[in-house]
Amino acid sequence: MYGYILRRLLLAIPVLVGVSILVFSIVRFIPGDPARIVAGVHASQEYVERVRAELLLDEPIHLQYYVYMSNLLQGDMGRSSFTRRPVTEELFERFPNTLILTVAAMGIATIFGMGAGIISATRRYSLFDNFTMLFALAGIAIPVFWLGLMFQLLFSVQLGWLPSSGMETWKNLVMPAMTLGLATTALIARITRSSMLDVLGQDYINTARSKGLVERVVVYKHALKNALIPVVTVMGLQFGTLLGGAVLTETVFTWPGIGRLLVDSILTRDYAVVQGAVLLLALLFVLINLLVDIIYALLDPRISYGTQEVD
Amino acid sequence: MKKFLVLLIIPALLLGLMISGCEPEEVDPVDPVDPEEPVEVAQEIAVAIGVEPENLDPLKMTSAPAATVSEHMVENLLYLNEDGELEPALAVNWEVADDGMSYLIELREGVTFHDGEPFNAEAVKYNLDRFMGKGEFEGESPAVFGFLLGEVDNVEVVDEYTIRINMDELFAPLAFHLSHSFIAMHSPASIDALAEGDDITAPVGTGPFKYSRWDRGEQIVMERNEDYWGGAPEIEEATFKFVPEGGSRVIMIETGEVDAVMDIPFAEIDRLEAAEGINIVYEDSVRNIYIGFNMESDLFKNNQELRQAINYAVDKQAICDAIFAGAYEPATAPIVPAVFGYHQAGPYEYDPERAMELLAEAGYEDGFEMELYHPTGRYPMDATVAETVQGMLAEVGIQANLSTFDWGTFLEVINQENPDDAEHDAYMLGWGTVTWDADYGLYPLFHSDEWPPASNRAYYANEEVDALLEQARREMDPGVREQLYAEAIQLIWDDAPWLFLYNQVQVNAELDRVEGLIHHPLENISVWDARIVE
Repeated sequence: MYGYILRRLLLAIPVLVGVSILVFSIVRFIPGDPARIVAGVHASQEYVERVRAELLLDEPIHLQYYVYMSNLLQGDMGRSSFTRRPVTEELFERFPNTLILTVAAMGIATIFGMGAGIISATRRYSLFDNFTMLFALAGIAIPVFWLGLMFQLLFSVQLGWLPSSGMETWKNLVMPAMTLGLATTALIARITRSSMLDVLGQDYINTARSKGLVERVVVYKHALKNALIPVVTVMGLQFGTLLGGAVLTETVFTWPGIGRLLVDSILTRDYAVVQGAVLLLALLFVLINLLVDIIYALLDPRISYGTQEVD
Repeated sequence: MKKFLVLLIIPALLLGLMISGCEPEEVDPVDPVDPEEPVEVAQEIAVAIGVEPENLDPLKMTSAPAATVSEHMVENLLYLNEDGELEPALAVNWEVADDGMSYLIELREGVTFHDGEPFNAEAVKYNLDRFMGKGEFEGESPAVFGFLLGEVDNVEVVDEYTIRINMDELFAPLAFHLSHSFIAMHSPASIDALAEGDDITAPVGTGPFKYSRWDRGEQIVMERNEDYWGGAPEIEEATFKFVPEGGSRVIMIETGEVDAVMDIPFAEIDRLEAAEGINIVYEDSVRNIYIGFNMESDLFKNNQELRQAINYAVDKQAICDAIFAGAYEPATAPIVPAVFGYHQAGPYEYDPERAMELLAEAGYEDGFEMELYHPTGRYPMDATVAETVQGMLAEVGIQANLSTFDWGTFLEVINQENPDDAEHDAYMLGWGTVTWDADYGLYPLFHSDEWPPASNRAYYANEEVDALLEQARREMDPGVREQLYAEAIQLIWDDAPWLFLYNQVQVNAELDRVEGLIHHPLENISVWDARIVE
């Protein structure tokens, strides 16, 4: 197992190098002159040229990449062309905020999504099941932006229970986490339900039932564990998506996270920050995927990463 | 099963840990209140603005939000008040030499920076030299806005509280330029203490507020300067919050989380006007929006009738009423009325018949196609306005093909040094005359030396206009300058190198419980004279 983890970690290196080359070239292919954007519409051309030289934008792209990589290996991700602060500082200020929001949203999604999915599966076609599936459909369909504003109107303006934005106390976390977590809750509920239904139809469940086991034991001990594999996959993917994809939620609730930083940086052609943020997210994605694979092994003893089986 | 439980518990624990990492709600110890004493209201104020300052270093600042925050902490020699008048700030007196080639400036005595360093002539020279990349900063990069002092030769220390600014060439609007928020006085010691490559992010100035902290992506907090030379403000703590989404800003003022907000979405004006305890504040802006014609394109070159026809074909008033809830005003000149040197030349009244006549005169009675480029998300409702203009032009037989760009791409696309490379016939843009002087609103946009990569993106060239703008720049008599600008503006207006659209107006809101907030045409809100009443 440890050998497997080590091998996967080593494999992450070429992945990250690939990502760095990709993002490095893509940001440079977007039209728009970063030097002019930094200098602004009022600045003189002379000044714009000075900025261009400072950002090394007048050098050939492979040389720019070489400089970037050699600095990166020394832990220097460069400076934001917009705020002129070190990229590492920008990222490490924002990243914890994103992590708090994502973990909270995933927590909500896991508890409510799985719960609803399990109950729906065991009471198929009941009122609860129908209601949950309708809710799940709505949860996936409702635009995050609109939902966030509606929450603000209800909980902040009408009821006055929660602050509408900022991040001073735990109360500030409630609405953004609910908003961000809703679609994932819905997704997890649907996947859990269908996966559970699948498993509940298997022969070994009938065996368990015919042994006379109580339904609770059948569902939670025998069925759930096997039903969880696809759910864990989806959760892993969702976690990665939420980390970088919370832009709208972060905007509505003025939550200073990585997603907003990334989009703002793309708009201002802040190459260094875009590269840094994407690289960080890619690294997390790789780690989460690894974690998911490890969890598979824990859930399903048939999956083994330690030895190669030979027929 | 146990493993499954562990899986559920881990995220829950992480969540708990992180929340406990958030700062706990602060609970002030409650003092026993004496019923006889009047209840004191906390003098804390919060203002929500849409954009976070990119920087607070005079060398790198480019935006109004940066100026808004900065001017509470660092001050200029002169202050341009909301009526467009220059007031003494760190300078108490300024005199122009008879030949106009130097300015003698007397400084305020007994002022100290927030770090205790004295404010004096040396400090002023240090700051101005740094801004221009001159003196001890020779060879270093000047400020982005260094061109504001482009005509200055050097700054001379006369005595401890007097400086002389020597000019390279005559430049009448210099005093206005010295009031620009980006030319503010920072403590030289605080700048010397910066690490190599670092910019000023925590300004140390002489202003009514001291820097307290900057929570990136969220807010900047400042505390009252008890030793302020102009008397300490009543507000003890001022916070500027950065809330990009207009709807969220409105909600924040409805809940009272902030005391004032900038830029209310137009669709929300009616609702807020009906709300109790909230006042809508309309304040002029120095920015106007236009659609420039590519004067070097086959279509518009030497075709004044065609350019005027388009001006008549677009109903500016309807745009102001329908899209901007009546808050904006149709343009009557290439600069807004508040700016020094303004002359009312228009508007071009909406007159589709006149437009058709002019089209026929220009030989385009059957209409024509044009490429109209515009940004999206840069100016309020910019894309909507472009679409509306497109519809109005279609009424007179002109087919405008719209190309929409994000700001970064747009700037590059319309900045073609060689007009032959420009694929657009027209482009939508705005300009803020931030010095409040016509020179800044006309010279960069209409002088033929200022073609791209500078700001005359219409490739406009008129020798008469060039001569008038040059003369006005060097004329020290304000009365004569006004006349020169009036002539230039009339020429430009008749030449119609732009489709003159509208002047922006700021729509802000504040709570009833706030008094003395300054809503400034330079798109600032200032809190130094404010107080909270309950």
